[in-house]
Amino acid sequence: MNKRILILITLLGGFMFSCTEESNPAFDTNNFTSIFDNSKFDASYFPIDIRQTPDGGYLVLGGRKLTNSNFTGIYLLKADKFGKFVTEIEVEESSVNPIAKFAAYQDKYYFFCMDAVTQEAQLVDVDADLSAVNITPVEGGLTYPAASSFEGDEFVLLSYNNGSKESVISLVSVSGALQISKGYSIGTGEDIEEPIINHFIRTGRQYPFEVGRVAGSSLYYFNGFYNYTFSLVFTNITSDDPIGVVQGQQDDGGFSAVTSLGGSKFATSRFNFGDNYLLPNKDLSTSGNTSSTDLGGYSLPEMVENAEVKILRASIDNKNVLIYGTDTKTKQIGLLFYDEAAGTFISSRYLGFSNPFEIASLTQTADGGLAVCGTTYLAGRFPRICIFKLSKDKLAENVN
Amino acid sequence: MKRLSLLLLCCLIITAGVAQEKKRKKPASPAYKEKKAKEDAKFLNKQWWLGLKAGPNWSKVGVEKSYSVIAPTNYEFDHIAKQYKNYDLVGSQATLEVTFYFKGFSFSFQPTYQHSRFLYTNSYEWTSDIETTNHVELDFEQEQKVDHAIIPLIVKYDIMGNKIRPYVQIGVYSAMLINASKSVSVKGIDNAAGGVNEFTEETINLGAKDLFAKNHWGLMGGVGLNYNLGNNVRLNFDVLYRHGMSNIVSTKNRYDSDRLSGVGDVMDDLTLDNLNISIGCLFPLRFLSSGFKTLDLK
Repeated sequence: MNKRILILITLLGGFMFSCTEESNPAFDTNNFTSIFDNSKFDASYFPIDIRQTPDGGYLVLGGRKLTNSNFTGIYLLKADKFGKFVTEIEVEESSVNPIAKFAAYQDKYYFFCMDAVTQEAQLVDVDADLSAVNITPVEGGLTYPAASSFEGDEFVLLSYNNGSKESVISLVSVSGALQISKGYSIGTGEDIEEPIINHFIRTGRQYPFEVGRVAGSSLYYFNGFYNYTFSLVFTNITSDDPIGVVQGQQDDGGFSAVTSLGGSKFATSRFNFGDNYLLPNKDLSTSGNTSSTDLGGYSLPEMVENAEVKILRASIDNKNVLIYGTDTKTKQIGLLFYDEAAGTFISSRYLGFSNPFEIASLTQTADGGLAVCGTTYLAGRFPRICIFKLSKDKLAENVN
Repeated sequence: MKRLSLLLLCCLIITAGVAQEKKRKKPASPAYKEKKAKEDAKFLNKQWWLGLKAGPNWSKVGVEKSYSVIAPTNYEFDHIAKQYKNYDLVGSQATLEVTFYFKGFSFSFQPTYQHSRFLYTNSYEWTSDIETTNHVELDFEQEQKVDHAIIPLIVKYDIMGNKIRPYVQIGVYSAMLINASKSVSVKGIDNAAGGVNEFTEETINLGAKDLFAKNHWGLMGGVGLNYNLGNNVRLNFDVLYRHGMSNIVSTKNRYDSDRLSGVGDVMDDLTLDNLNISIGCLFPLRFLSSGFKTLDLK
């Protein structure tokens, strides 16, 4: 009898202790939401791009409102692997208008900005701890940098030359040396330039400028103004004329995001007079003239007009997927998962509630999770940077 | 459930009352009385008791590790830290008691349904260096309601007495989560609108079962009093303090609620303490005769 009672008590005791909830640092790094707040009423911060650092933390490249300039100041933030604030840098106002992408190369992180007085492009590098910021002028007098990407060991830079009224695509080394450059006319007349300048001083619409290289090819592309329209232009950066152009509808239609999947395959999204269309796996003609309005695509009425779209190629649970991040009319960040090979819709996930949230950037983390960086408006009005970290398991739920 | 418990309680009281109505036996001889007293004393060394009790409780939480969605960049975290209001809200509990009494000690099994409530507040402030009247303040109040099934094992010791029997008790318990909900209310003052604009936002109510741990355990101790009514019924007054020993919050699902994260709320790692006060009735389960007659020491 006593033995039985002893066994019962032991079993009961074992049950009590075995089922308790223990703190687990892995859970804290797998999933978190962080909003980086500044108590200044007049402060305004917005993220541009995010990179994970080798220590598991995050570097955020952002912009900040300047009181004495029409341009945007540079803001850099470091968060640890738990999403906690570590440090920040407000770069001096002599350098302004930081642009994506925030590129990692060797042990440094690079981005382009411009000189506040001359509007000439500058290359900035920082280390993973944000211990120092080095600013190097880019050779060749490139002005108004609009977008960049890092291909191999050099940058592809899209800039705007307001003297010759050209969209300029260039290759720039990590030391800031200009390798090659080619300009393409946006057309003539002040009307065509006005939205571009308004983009740079953020008094008008923010255009989805992009630049990159076609995967597995020596062909480059930029998404910008060419011949009076917002177009996707293919070039080898040597020919005077583009090799191919997918035209938009002046500045009312065009691509809102472009990611090369290799060859003529692209994951893209496009806007057309406010409507949005997603094209997860589309063959685009990289030569000749075509029109983006003929491409069709999945229309998503839940997206805001001319929505910002970010596309990330990711491997989740051994599946190659495309994650589209966008802004919804419910003021949330919408994540749409598509099968990369088939271009078929898999599932969706929405982030944020109550306060408005807007997408800025997505990056897959070393643990197989996803970091989503965006802007939220605390108290409905103060723009602040936020990071959502989603675990590998949560992403697996989305693709299975 | 409440009605069924009440009905059961009434039946037990009536049964006990009826047993007392049995007519008294004629006086017995002294030898018989002595023998009977010995037998009674031996009988009274063991008894099973069954009863029900219920009452209010007040909760206190202990913060094991603090978490926040909001990460301040130019001010100290203390400014927005959660302020827990302990023993502020009244919860309730209902307990079924099964107790085995043996020579002054009782071994009690008291499965309990416990509804706990606790509250915390925090506030945020934005001020302008340029225009001093530009000032916004938001005050958040988060209330948690958590229901647990508590499975305790308790040892009691009757200190003294017969009619009035005070006791002390200690034990250990395991708690299983049944349900949980949260509500977040936001009030604010906006001085930037040209005047003092006091506003209240719509309260966010949501189920929060996933945010809490499925199980936790703790230790318990307390005092109580049994009052023998003389008709096989004991009234019970019980004061019990449960001290949580493990985290009541789900570490894995902490950030799972976008609705809460969106307003900057996330649960800390917490232990839950409860001060329970209960009153109820206990009935003996061992009887001397078929007439449901049991003994009380004179």
